[in-house]
Amino acid sequence: MDRKKISSEVWVGVVVLIGILSLFYMSMRIGKFGTLHRQGYEIKVTLDNANGLDPRSPIQIAGVEVGKVSAIKLDGYKALILLRVKDGVKIPVDSKAAVKTQGVLGDKYIEIIPGVGQTYLAGGDRINDIITVPDFGEIFTQVNVAAKNFGDTMSEFKGIIGEQEKISIKKSIDNIQVVSGDFKNLVSANKNNITRIVTNMEAISKDIEAGKGTIGKLVKDDTLYNDAKDVVASLKNISGDIEQGKGTLGKLAKDETLYDEAKDAIGNIKELTDGMKKGEGTLGKLAKDDSLYKETEKAMKKIQKGAEGLQEMTPITILGTIFGTFF
Amino acid sequence: MEERAIHIVDLHKSFRDQKVLDGINLEVEKEKITVIIGKSGGGKSVLLKHMIGLLKPDSGEIWVNGTEITKLNDKKLNEVRKTFGMLFQEAALFDSMNVYENVSFPLREHRSMSEKEIERIVEERLKQVGLLAFKEKMPSELSGGMKKRVGLARALVCDPDIILFDEPTSALDPVISLTILDLIKETQSYIKKTYVVISHDILGMFRIADKVAMLSDGKIIEYGTPQEIRRSKHEITQEFLQATQIPGFTGGSHG
Amino acid sequence: MFRKILRSIFQLPLTFLQELGNISRMFLQVTYLSFRRPFKLDYIFKQMEFIGVRSMLVVVITGTFTGMVLALQSSYGFRKFGAEGLVGAIVALSMTRELGPVLTSLMVTGRAGSSMAAELGTMRVTEQIDALTVMALNPVKYLIVPRVVASFLMLPVLTIISDLLGIVGGYIIGVKLLGINEGAFINKIEKTLDLPDIYNGLVKAAVFGIILSVISCYKGYYTRGGAEGVGRATTEAVVLSSVTILISDYVLTSIMF
Repeated sequence: MDRKKISSEVWVGVVVLIGILSLFYMSMRIGKFGTLHRQGYEIKVTLDNANGLDPRSPIQIAGVEVGKVSAIKLDGYKALILLRVKDGVKIPVDSKAAVKTQGVLGDKYIEIIPGVGQTYLAGGDRINDIITVPDFGEIFTQVNVAAKNFGDTMSEFKGIIGEQEKISIKKSIDNIQVVSGDFKNLVSANKNNITRIVTNMEAISKDIEAGKGTIGKLVKDDTLYNDAKDVVASLKNISGDIEQGKGTLGKLAKDETLYDEAKDAIGNIKELTDGMKKGEGTLGKLAKDDSLYKETEKAMKKIQKGAEGLQEMTPITILGTIFGTFF
Repeated sequence: MEERAIHIVDLHKSFRDQKVLDGINLEVEKEKITVIIGKSGGGKSVLLKHMIGLLKPDSGEIWVNGTEITKLNDKKLNEVRKTFGMLFQEAALFDSMNVYENVSFPLREHRSMSEKEIERIVEERLKQVGLLAFKEKMPSELSGGMKKRVGLARALVCDPDIILFDEPTSALDPVISLTILDLIKETQSYIKKTYVVISHDILGMFRIADKVAMLSDGKIIEYGTPQEIRRSKHEITQEFLQATQIPGFTGGSHG
Repeated sequence: MFRKILRSIFQLPLTFLQELGNISRMFLQVTYLSFRRPFKLDYIFKQMEFIGVRSMLVVVITGTFTGMVLALQSSYGFRKFGAEGLVGAIVALSMTRELGPVLTSLMVTGRAGSSMAAELGTMRVTEQIDALTVMALNPVKYLIVPRVVASFLMLPVLTIISDLLGIVGGYIIGVKLLGINEGAFINKIEKTLDLPDIYNGLVKAAVFGIILSVISCYKGYYTRGGAEGVGRATTEAVVLSSVTILISDYVLTSIMF
């Protein structure tokens, strides 16, 4: 009888022990026993928008986790993010911070791009240089609106064959205006980036003005310039002749020269465009705009594909909803 | 008052629309075996359950050793219950305990005794019912008659003043019935306590009864010694007596 | 005829309310008695052994396979997103918040709750409960309190074991069988799972433990009608406990999470 009693308690003890060990193990693995809360030092970042960031969102440098967001507060009308960084990770004062997204569904995290300075941030210091990465969601909606309007425009064009051409075209133009308006919005959203590009361009043109740049480019520029000047001069001659009313047979000989000169000019222009195509020279940068356009087009196609993909995924979304209600 | 262990006054009890007890008046004498005879389903068990407070009457009084128990709260009722022992119809042994644990259970719960003392008392009681050798057995391993004997040992283990028996011979074969009845008689003559037995087995009960009460239609219709009851001209008593007699055979009625 | 129908329509909510009231009364009685001497520790331990230890196997099997099937199902879905790394997180969250407590409670209801009802029902029809009362002992204290206390204590223990095994099962299927990136799998779990997820799940389990034991004991304690009555009480105990667990699960979830 006594033996039986003991064994009942022993068995209960075994099960309870297994339970406590399981709980302890899981709690430790989750690692939210507050171990991180006391260690490390805290730095501040002020963001316009902390959407998607949570306390405990990771902080990374070069993809390596170096700490976690410890708190998110409202400071004025901006978000004050407190970052707890592990001891031993030194962050230069001129470092930059950016909010980035991991994957399409992934969480937001803060990436710190280390500066090159020799002084380091201490606890309570602030990273002032924030790189704003355009919000994926925002871009997506804007592109979506633009694409929708574009689609509308296209369908309008399809209907043009009818009698109401004029009205349709007018509508199309209106739509195009709307599209360009959307595009403008898109551009304004990315103002910073564009401004940066423009600044670069300005700098380059200044360089050109000052005759700087690589020798090859300069040479090219010079010949180009000369050629262009020739063309202009020739044209001037021709127009001058025409103005003077020299329309006689003898002037046919002049036409010959005109032809030659025009040929030269065309040759020059061709040369110029070839240069552009190859992306050489200063003007080559303009050609980059072309590739930019093409890439944008590609991106649009990809996004469209993505949207289609999302539609295909609706069953899973329903599954998600079920899961959601389940919890 | 002194010679009355239980005194029931005008007890009424109905379940839904059915009157089960309809004005019971009964005096149970001390240190005697009182048998209440009645038909199955005639309210005998209900009457017995009232005596120990398992059921509350609609009206009427029940006096146990000078205490009116129908209006007591649970705590005081439990004090009264400690003076009772009860043998249930199917012994009501605890399935999860063996014979020894069953018999020692009331002692363990109510008396602060050393394990040695408990063992002495329990073994004595088991010896009285002749089951000392079975003390490690579980109730499921016992026959019906053995269970009743263990139940009797358990009912007696706390030295109660009043012991209630609910159909002690039901579902037993005649031979075993007799041994149980003899055991009841024997223990009573030994410890001299008040026994109240309910049964429908009128002839068997004449073996042990000091007093017999006939229960019919919710009333006590006759009360007296076995001899008086046997000579009774009362219709229902006659019916009972005749029902258990086989024509031309008188066995079992004398004992 | 019409009156009969009308009466049964009115009778239904009435019996429901009466049942609810009776169970609540039983619960209060048990709560009160649990804090009163004498504390029947060896009774409680016996029940803990019965409810906890003897339910281990079934909990281990249920927990593991639930985790495995969760991993299988969710990886099928997440593969379409290319987000298979989230499978671990889904398994862990589902197990700790929901399936661990609920499935464990349902299994214990089926195993221990039914036997509580059957045991007490048998004790009722064979007058063992009356025998206790006659001995001036409170049957609720001796029979029901240990069972309720034991399930209250053991359900969280069983649940945490089930949680862990579920995650392990998910890991086996996800990482070993379906070849999901192990680092992503484990990291996502560690990142997504919070301590409150686990603790609230355990609180749920404890509440379910009280619910299933009180209802099962209540049904057994008030059994009527012999062996057939015991059978009926057992069935009713399991059905009512399971339904109540699922309903209260919704309520608890909406309060806690």
